Amino acid sequence: MTMRTWIPAALAACFFVAARAWADEPTPGQSLYNKHCLSCHQADGGGVPRMQPAIAGGTWVQGDARALALFVMSGGFDSAARKESNVDNVMPPFRQLTDEDLAAILTYIRAKFGNGASPVTVPDIAEARTSLP
Amino acid sequence: MRNAWLAKVVSACFTAMAGSVVLAADNDGLVLPEGFSALVVHEGQGTARHLDVAANGDIYLAGEKGLSALRDTNGDGKADVVTPFGDVQGTEVRIFGNWLYVSDDVGVYRYPLKKGELAPSGKRETVVSGFPKERQHADKTFALDAKGTLYINVGAPSNSCQEKDRQEGSLGMNPCPILEKYGGVWVFDGTKLNQTPANGRRFATGTRNAVAIEWNAAQNSLFAVIHGRDSIDTLFPRLYNAEDNATRQAEEFHEIVDGGNYGWPYTFFDTKLGKRVLAPEYGGDKTKEPEAGKYPNPLVAFPAHWAPNDLLFYSGKSFPAKYRGGAFIAFHGSWNRAPEPQAGYKVVFQPMKGGKANGPYEVFADGFAGEMKDNSPNNARYRPVGLAVGPDGSLFVSDSQKGRVWRISYAGK
Repeated sequence: MTMRTWIPAALAACFFVAARAWADEPTPGQSLYNKHCLSCHQADGGGVPRMQPAIAGGTWVQGDARALALFVMSGGFDSAARKESNVDNVMPPFRQLTDEDLAAILTYIRAKFGNGASPVTVPDIAEARTSLP
Repeated sequence: MRNAWLAKVVSACFTAMAGSVVLAADNDGLVLPEGFSALVVHEGQGTARHLDVAANGDIYLAGEKGLSALRDTNGDGKADVVTPFGDVQGTEVRIFGNWLYVSDDVGVYRYPLKKGELAPSGKRETVVSGFPKERQHADKTFALDAKGTLYINVGAPSNSCQEKDRQEGSLGMNPCPILEKYGGVWVFDGTKLNQTPANGRRFATGTRNAVAIEWNAAQNSLFAVIHGRDSIDTLFPRLYNAEDNATRQAEEFHEIVDGGNYGWPYTFFDTKLGKRVLAPEYGGDKTKEPEAGKYPNPLVAFPAHWAPNDLLFYSGKSFPAKYRGGAFIAFHGSWNRAPEPQAGYKVVFQPMKGGKANGPYEVFADGFAGEMKDNSPNNARYRPVGLAVGPDGSLFVSDSQKGRVWRISYAGK
């Protein structure tokens, strides 16, 4: 291969790789979900039988944004979820995350697992935070 | 003379045909060593937990729909009589003498097994009850020795005894108060009735959740494969990443001795370093080791999060000689390896000699999980849980996804 043909070929390859990376790049909400939530609730939001509940299609995920934020920051055990999923584990609280990170995570799970429920905003999180004990 | 011989051969052929099992053409998708075949015995009693097989071939199964007794009446290997019985919705099932011992989250019970009866008609007796009702690691799996001594796995209702369970950065309680009542093996007289946990004695401690627990008659000793701790990455992200969490914390196989301490929650066996290290909740910095000799190293350090749910020392005669006295372990499969690929979901064979590992483990039965879309355990086709040996030496395996029961037989030479 001559230099003249090699350079455009390399450029094309770089462009292809960059385009793929761009297409596969997770959103900030997805990255944060992968870091903090995925090991329990799994990539498909399906949870783990007998251990952690499914969140996909769940009432919390598609319900009131501030109630969801308060639950995620408080942690705990939702008896309704237990009835549905017969799960064992208690959710740890995630109040240590910033308002921005929580808004991104909850917006992601509502879009992906919440039947198109509305995004969660930073002011939603801030308001929910005022109700924490 | 010749006719008599011919008649004998024809008769033997008919007998063999009448009693021959019908093997699944593709072993039901299971991948087995050469010469082994799998047959689906049953599915339909809801998700299953453990099982045992009586000397006459009757199968006793615990699961979502409670206890069931299964019988094959025409010799094709498939259960054609299925009888639910009793009122225990639990996990473990063990035949001991003329009794069927079963357990749930809070106790161990027994039913009389009468000759000719499939489902026990006798009343349930309580052997031990009153364990606190917990959510995490509550299944009371158990083992019985030849004298009827009952060893109960009392799992810890905690991941790593943090002040705040499963919360990022929370340190471990020291000493861990959970160990007073949990995270160990408690021993009882399994022939006495109506005992409470107070009648038992802590036999061994530091076992987070020894689900796969089994008495080894040949060694006259107790063994267990223990579920190791979760989430070193999300709880201590400055020390560990997701790959570390998916690969470091061993599922430890131990001989469980009287007075033994197996290191939970203060330590875990790091399979990457090949040594026991302090847990990050207890001053661990990735390499710091506990006091030398305080906790034993495992006989085998199995990969992280594979979830050992049953252990069986092979006492049958129909498998090749190398399997006799060795250990089969049912790995339920991981959830806590995500986002790394999930693993486990298989039955492993560990060669043993004199109570020690005798060479590396081998995957015995694989292919349970299938494609497992989205790397999610929820989408596994099957997940092996329980193991038992039938009177002909076949290995029985139960599944927690659909409640399938397989019989794995050897027909090779």
